[in-house]
Amino acid sequence: MGADTGNTGSPDIRCKGLAKVFPGGVEAIRPLDVTFEGGRTTALVGPSGCGKSTLLRIIAGLETPSSGEVRVGGAPPAEIQRDAGLSMAFQDPSLLPWRTVRGNIELALKLARRPPAPHAVENLIRLVGLDGFAGSRPAELSGGMRQRAAIARAMVTEPRLLLLDEPFGAVDELTRRQLAEDLPLLWEPRRTTALLVTHSVVESVLLADRVLVLSPRPAGIVADIPVPLPRPRAAGVAETPEFRSIARAVAEALARGMAQARPPLAAQ
Amino acid sequence: MTAAIPAPTPRWPRGLFSLALLLLAWELAARALAGAYVLAAPSDVILHIAQNAGLLGRALRETLANAAAGFVAGNLAAICLAAGALTWPRAAPVIAGLALLVFCLPLVATGPILRVLYGPGAGPQVTLAALAVYYTTFVPLMVGLRAAPASWFDLVRSYGRGRVAELVHVRTRASLPYLFAGLQIAAPAAFLGAMVGEFTGAERGMGVLTIRAMRTLDVTAIWSLAVIAAAVSILAYAAVGRLATALLTDRPPVILSPPVTPAHTGWRPLADAVVVLLVAVAAWWGAMEAFGLNAFFAKRPDDLWQALYMAPDAAQTRATLTAALRETSIYLLPGYAAGLALGASLAVALTLAPALRPGATALAVTLRSVPIVTTAPLLVLLLGRGAVGTIALVATMVFFPTFVACIHGLRQAPGQVLDVFDSYAAGPVARLWHVKVPAMLPAFFAAARMSVPASVLAVTVVEWLATGRGIGSLMALSASLSDYDMLWSAVVVISLLSVLGHAAVGLAERRVLSVFAAEQVAV
Repeated sequence: MGADTGNTGSPDIRCKGLAKVFPGGVEAIRPLDVTFEGGRTTALVGPSGCGKSTLLRIIAGLETPSSGEVRVGGAPPAEIQRDAGLSMAFQDPSLLPWRTVRGNIELALKLARRPPAPHAVENLIRLVGLDGFAGSRPAELSGGMRQRAAIARAMVTEPRLLLLDEPFGAVDELTRRQLAEDLPLLWEPRRTTALLVTHSVVESVLLADRVLVLSPRPAGIVADIPVPLPRPRAAGVAETPEFRSIARAVAEALARGMAQARPPLAAQ
Repeated sequence: MTAAIPAPTPRWPRGLFSLALLLLAWELAARALAGAYVLAAPSDVILHIAQNAGLLGRALRETLANAAAGFVAGNLAAICLAAGALTWPRAAPVIAGLALLVFCLPLVATGPILRVLYGPGAGPQVTLAALAVYYTTFVPLMVGLRAAPASWFDLVRSYGRGRVAELVHVRTRASLPYLFAGLQIAAPAAFLGAMVGEFTGAERGMGVLTIRAMRTLDVTAIWSLAVIAAAVSILAYAAVGRLATALLTDRPPVILSPPVTPAHTGWRPLADAVVVLLVAVAAWWGAMEAFGLNAFFAKRPDDLWQALYMAPDAAQTRATLTAALRETSIYLLPGYAAGLALGASLAVALTLAPALRPGATALAVTLRSVPIVTTAPLLVLLLGRGAVGTIALVATMVFFPTFVACIHGLRQAPGQVLDVFDSYAAGPVARLWHVKVPAMLPAFFAAARMSVPASVLAVTVVEWLATGRGIGSLMALSASLSDYDMLWSAVVVISLLSVLGHAAVGLAERRVLSVFAAEQVAV
């Protein structure tokens, strides 16, 4: 799918000379030129603190770049925010504790100034496997269930751009794998442009059409690795030689980035 | 085979048993001290209340009505102030500074001033009740409005929504537990404010009866009034707590004071202080002129300048003020230090005797809800009108909030760090010294800061009512002699000293926390 410049369809994202230096002089992102194609899922993989979440926040319009620009569907991020075409899911599910699962999902509709859509909300609750928990408060749910509720909240507005900031980072490995298998089924059929920040090599290959490996801070692109695996990806895909080969390439690029940034211990 | 689980003992029979024991001990002590004019027996108190039910009921109704009106007005003011600080963040330090300055006005001195400004009626009582509560609500509300995690605001902003949506969907509801925590402390404080207002020339109410009982040394009446005031305060505290539990799914947090102000560098804090001072002087002057108040009793800033520096007797006025302040500080400083030291030490000691902690904490939380000043006449009766009684009252005023805060602070010790100590089989003293006491410091300093105006209130009330010395007594004397220059000067001096004391504790707090809790003082 090509670039989309209107306010319908899946927008592409173009970053041109994008850099971020925080007050105090910490350089989070070095000048970056990259395009994320509309309708595809791209994973940003890199070590902790490398600036990948900052990049996501700049694309979301939550942070301003120090220099350069970002265009979402040919317009500044504020445009897609205003159209309520953007949704974000965070590492922390960020559910409001006084609202039920249903109330939290409905909140996204309110914030997006959309009319109530009880059927869509119930449908999503069922799709994310929270049947019977619509009236539960977050404190009554497990970590995985909260994360599912947060993804449902992100999807209820049918966003054209979905930003996922380590959305499975706070759950155990088994739940994480289950979520990684189940949840793409929500956004893939809609050809939503999705950007996923993750530490996990396996998760990035399982979910994305393309993996960008970032260097330690300041973030720069170490490798751009396509993931030409068929969709939908079944549970067994992680055992295939193709998957392993791509995962190895991602892991090696990560190690290369780390080595460039820091000499080996023996040399210090 | 399964072990039988013992049925839990219901709490209330044990509570009733303890209460009965306490009443018995009180009764015996009163019988033993009969004729000493210090302690009234509970049987006499009950008899007195029954015999004077009509009079006490009317007085209580009057005080409750004033307290309720002040409670509503003060809390509405707190909500407006917090909303202003939130929507205009640049003005927040100035709003907070002005709020603190007004809170530091000594209630016993503002009482007579309000009396001449309002004339007869309930105006001063209601205003003092409002002044007694607005800050205790403003502080936790400010914390609550800012307490939501950053990702909740990111969520709102990611849909292109701004401050209003943040306020409607996140901040308002997130701050409710904090608001209730403030209201819970405000409920007894409103009663205290109304009573202090009645001390200063009202016609009806619990405060008026207290003054009369003090003058006639009617020990039974003094104890009856103190018992009623304490009971009303505890009930009000419990009622707001119950309301919060019924309305909210989350429990009100223990909030005593806002986090210490971030350490801004350069001239910013000084500039803020100057702006606060200028705005306060302008508001004072403006209000006097706008209402056309008579300059005989409604003194302007330039009147005080004249009285303190230009008038022929200026040196005498300054000398009188300084002497009174010196007398007050002799009681205030040891009482303040003793209250802090006792509160912190008892909390620390109880961590070494955990079996005693639940009972002691429950008792302290209950007694903290009693405005100690309303029971000041009792302490004066018990400990006399000398230095010991005054210092004990100030120490008691500081002790309870410090103890409760320190118990809460000691519980904040990170579990994983304690696990590390356990893995080395470290003893309770090592755990206490290296982990729990540092974890307690933020709560201790928060209590120390908030106790500055509270201790000033305590010392001025006891000087006003009983000792006849110090700045409290000077204010009472000035009010009765219509020496408004001296009265206003005393108000200004004592308020500024309270603010400076608060700032000095804040400075020490910042230095200590930068070592022991660096995240709390980060900009």
